[in-house]
Order: sequence, then C-alpha cells, then structure tokens
Amino acid sequence: MKTRDQEYRELFMAEALEYYDSMSRHLSELERNPNAGPALNELFRLMHNLKANARAMGFTDLGEVAHQLETLFGLIRDKEREFSGALIRVVFAGVDALGSMIRAVGANQPLPDATALLHNLDLVVRGEAPILEEEEAAETEEESNRKMELSDLVYIQVKKLDNLLNLVGELVIDRDRIMTLAQELDNPALLATAQHLFRISDDLQYSVMDARLVGVGVLLNKFPRVVRDVASAEDKEVKLTLSGQDVQIDRNILQIITDALLHLVRNAVSHGLETTENRLKAGKPPIGELTLSAMTERDDVLLQVRDDGRGIDTEAVRRKAIERGLITAKAAPALDEQAVWALLFEPGFSMAQQVTDISGRGVGLDVVKLALDSLGGQLRVDSELGVGTTFTLVLPTSIAVKGALLVEVNERPYAIPLMHTDTVLALHPGQISIVGGVMVTYLHEQSVPLVPLRQLLHDEGDEPLPSAHKSDIEGTQHVLVVNYNSRRLGLIVDRFIRQQNIVIKPLSKPLDTIDLFGGVTLLGSGQVCLVLDVPALSRLFLTKRP
Amino acid sequence: MNKRILIVDDSFYMRTMLKNMLTDAGYEVVGEAANGAQALEMAASTEPDLITLDVILPDNTGLDVLKSLRQIQPSAKVVMCSAVGQEVIVTEAIENGAMAYIVKPFSEEKVLEIVGAALQNGASEQTA
Repeated sequence: MKTRDQEYRELFMAEALEYYDSMSRHLSELERNPNAGPALNELFRLMHNLKANARAMGFTDLGEVAHQLETLFGLIRDKEREFSGALIRVVFAGVDALGSMIRAVGANQPLPDATALLHNLDLVVRGEAPILEEEEAAETEEESNRKMELSDLVYIQVKKLDNLLNLVGELVIDRDRIMTLAQELDNPALLATAQHLFRISDDLQYSVMDARLVGVGVLLNKFPRVVRDVASAEDKEVKLTLSGQDVQIDRNILQIITDALLHLVRNAVSHGLETTENRLKAGKPPIGELTLSAMTERDDVLLQVRDDGRGIDTEAVRRKAIERGLITAKAAPALDEQAVWALLFEPGFSMAQQVTDISGRGVGLDVVKLALDSLGGQLRVDSELGVGTTFTLVLPTSIAVKGALLVEVNERPYAIPLMHTDTVLALHPGQISIVGGVMVTYLHEQSVPLVPLRQLLHDEGDEPLPSAHKSDIEGTQHVLVVNYNSRRLGLIVDRFIRQQNIVIKPLSKPLDTIDLFGGVTLLGSGQVCLVLDVPALSRLFLTKRP
Repeated sequence: MNKRILIVDDSFYMRTMLKNMLTDAGYEVVGEAANGAQALEMAASTEPDLITLDVILPDNTGLDVLKSLRQIQPSAKVVMCSAVGQEVIVTEAIENGAMAYIVKPFSEEKVLEIVGAALQNGASEQTA
C-alpha cells in the first residue's frame, strides 16, 4: 500500500543517495586539499541533513553515524582536528557505511551493524586513536562497495507530463492512419512495420499514462483533519476509516475531483451523520462512522463516501424539488428513488435546514456533478432511511484515452464513451411499446425510453420531438442503452461499428458551443468522428420528450 | 483567514514533511525555499505570517538569512529548525529575533504547538 510513510521513504531514499554522491565528491576534493573550506562546509551540511532525515525516519544507527561525521567535519573546519592519517580511514569507512546503510534501506533490508565504526568515530571525535583492522582486507571490500549510484527518482512538473501526453495523443492518431493506409496498400513489409509501430506506440501511451498515476492516498490522507474540523464545528463524534489509498489514478483527475470529494465529506458529516444525542435515541452507536474508500472496477476508479447516518429522506427531497421548481407536482410522484436522489445534484438544490459555516454557503452538491461531467465520470447514490448513505464517484483512471463504442447514424460514425454505456440490444418491433408518444422497452423489469439518435442529432428549435408510432418501427432496432445520473435511455442507431480506444480532442470554434458533442476524434481511416456527450443527450431528451 | 507560512530547508524530504504537517493542520504553505537567496526572495514576494528556517543552509548560514529576513519582513515570525548539536547557533538566533526553536526530528504535535504559539502571541523562546 502506498501510504504517506512510503512516500516519505521514497523521498528519503532519493535524497540520501544524492547526499551520498555529493559526499564522495567532496571527500576526494578534501583528499587533494585537506583545508578546502567549501568542501568541509558542504560535508558538514550533508551530514547534518542526512542525520536529521534519518532520525525522522527512525534509522537510528544511520543518524548516529551521520551525526558523528558531522561533528568530526565541524572539528576539522574549526581546525581542531586535521584531515590526515588514521582519521581519513575512519571518515572513509564512515561514508562507506552510510552508503551501505542507505542501500539497505532502499532494498528494505536490515541495516548493517555499525558498532565498531561508531566506537572508532567516537574515539576520533574525542581526539584519540581509532582501532583499525588490517588494511588490505578492509580496503578491497570497501572499494567494491563504493559504487556510483544516482537516485532512482526524478521530480517532474505535471505540465511536462501534460505535454508528453498530448504528443502521444497526436502520435496515436497518426499511427492509426498509417495502420489503415498499410492495410489499404496491402504491402507486407509496410504492414509489418505498421504493426510494430502500433505495438510500440501502444506501450508508449500506457507508459506515459502510467507516469501520471498517483496513489489516491495523497488526497485521502488530507481528510482526517477535514473531518475533525467539521465534526467539532457541528459538535458530532465521527470515526473516519480510510481504505484503498494505494489505488492509482491520473494526477489531474484527482486534482479536479478534490473539491467534489471535500464537499461530499463535509456534507456527510454535517447532514448525513446525526448528533450523538439523536443517534442514541435512534438506538445507534453514539459515534458516527464515515468511510472513505477507493477501489478499481474494470478501467474505472471508484471513490466512495459512506456514512451510517440518517439516510436520504426521499419524500423530503421530492417536496423540496417541487418547491424549488425543479420538477412539477404532477410529475413528482412518478419519479423513483434514484431519480429523486439525482435531484440533489441539480444546481440550486440544498437540503440543509440551517446554514452552518461548514457546508452552507449556498453551494450545493451540483459542484460534484459539474466536476464529474467534466471528467466524463458518473455518480451513484445509495441510501436507506435511518441506516446511511453511500455516494460513489466513478472516475476514469486516465484522461487521455477513453474506451468508446463507435456507432453509425446516416452513414456517419459517432463515438460514445463506454463510461456511459450500459448495454446494447437488438430489439424486435414486438419488444417495443409506445407509452405517451415515447417508445419504451423493458430491461430487467424496468422501463427504458427509446429514442432514435438521428432525432436528437437533427433536432432544432424548441418543438418537442415527434410522437412515436408503432408503424414507424420496422425490422430489428439496434439500441445502445446509456446511463446518466441513474437515468437510462436507449439510443436507436443504424448499426454498431466496433469498440475502440479513442483520443478525444476538444472541438474548435465555432463547434465548441454545440453541447451535444464532447469532442472529436480521428479514426484510422482519417475520418473525423464526433464524440457524443451522453449527459447533454440525456438532458435534451428530457426537455424535448413528446 | 489561514495563516501563511514559508518553509526554508535545504532538504526536500524535510520540506515535504513540514508542508504536510502544516497544510494538514489548515495552514497555507505559500512557498518552499531550498537556500538563503530563495528564502529572501520568497519572503519578500509572499509576505508570510511565519517562516520556518533551517539553521544550516547551502549558500548562507541560516543566521545570516535570519538577520536579512528580520530587515525585509520584520512582521513575519521566524521559527528556527535544527537537528541537535547546533545549540550555539540557535541561542544566537533567538537573540536575533527568532521566536522559537524546533529540534529535528520533530513530532507533528510539537511542530503544531510551537508554530501555533509563535503565531498567536509571539511568546518567548520555546523548544521542543
């Protein structure tokens, strides 16, 4: 598990190896010139830092050797000891020992014993003669250990990784074109080269994506403090449990989702969990439980905020939504639980009875929805009155490449991100009924409205969509069921082309104002393919349904 | 308003650890300087409420940096950070206007206690 401790360990290692390299460099300088002031200052500083860091990590012996060497270099600098004779051998033995110890830390092995060395260092510091072994045996061993080692870690600005990722995106598009051309030209040599290029660029792409991954722990570990603050402001007792800190996700996705997660956690403490008094009244344990967990599901990362609080009062949400004009009083009773809960994330909806300084401020859970939409993520809500609520954020692992289903409508390809697809169906006319002018099919005993994608794409003006008639349905209908905000919608398409990983490019002006399209991608054939924005399609259908 | 803190330490490891401790506690870390020159530049541009200053730095000694800091940013509280063995310097630092002294390796509680006290009243010498 990649915890903060592990992060510190890696940082410690990286820096310790750097220090060790510099020490060796300055020591050779000192051998040439025993009174080199800058080298002595640097050695003193490096020992000082290594000592402090080693002690913070709990490597006592390593810290102790560095401490003695620091003292010794301080004495040499102040001309109280001379860098000569037996002292040189003890110093080199000391620095070599530091190297072995640092390597042992890196290899997760127990640190070598330093008792004899520490004793000698102590003697030299006190100005006494060290106890030295026979020169030869010791020397050869030291020589073989004195390897050149650079740090295994480099620190990179995210900006540089972003740039790299964009370049890979361009490369992948060209690769797909070359692949298609090679197939068309049917030249075996070209085809073999193209296939090789395909594999390599695939590896490259995943390596770059991999380099951007960080453990979710870097975000989750910030929450104990947040929960403590909110809980104490609300006068509640909360036990927070974290899990899945080692789950890997793109750094930028984590950044974008930070505010949303903060909001959900604050919301859970101030509105989800009850006060101690109310919990006892309800026969629950006095301390509220809050769990923040991360897990992977296929290519997605799930971030879950679970509380054992009062749960969502579905009827209260329904009333509030009517009050706020989000739904009509007539339509309200027809909405199922999931549909009602989804209203919580509509702009301007806030369930807070009173505004506290923690989660009030008039900002609702809609920020969560906005962040998820911008990432092509999903939100799942699960709640039981009196038992608790679980919010699950479904996030892509990486932003660059998305799995998509290519479909065809009017001889044009469109891509629909897999994040939003539920299932594909081939329906006979008999499996489709007409309810209130809308085609409907039943899937797992739940009704799913159907709409020809063609109608949504070619829709103009404010008129509602035309009513469907039984006579319009001819032959097998190819249906892609998409899911947004817990609402399902079946899109009727001409045919399914294939599933493919696509690199999405933002639309350029003036097309960027058309919100049905989330971007554009190039197919191997060089053909431009629009990427459909499922949230926008769902909203369009809801406002325009006959 | 969160109190704004500038961290001065030549070890990336130490800076990261201090930064995590301080940001977790709700402080805003406005900058991290790895040497004296950076420290003076950042202190002028970020105008922090408090500066944690390592005693031993590559280009200047922490003490020289402290003296310059007191001149360019007199309102900023300075807390010295050092591993044991540098008590002499630290005493001199306190005489030169440092508010407190944190001994490495430090515990989260001690750091927060000392930083909190220094920010609140600028109380006299504190050691961990």
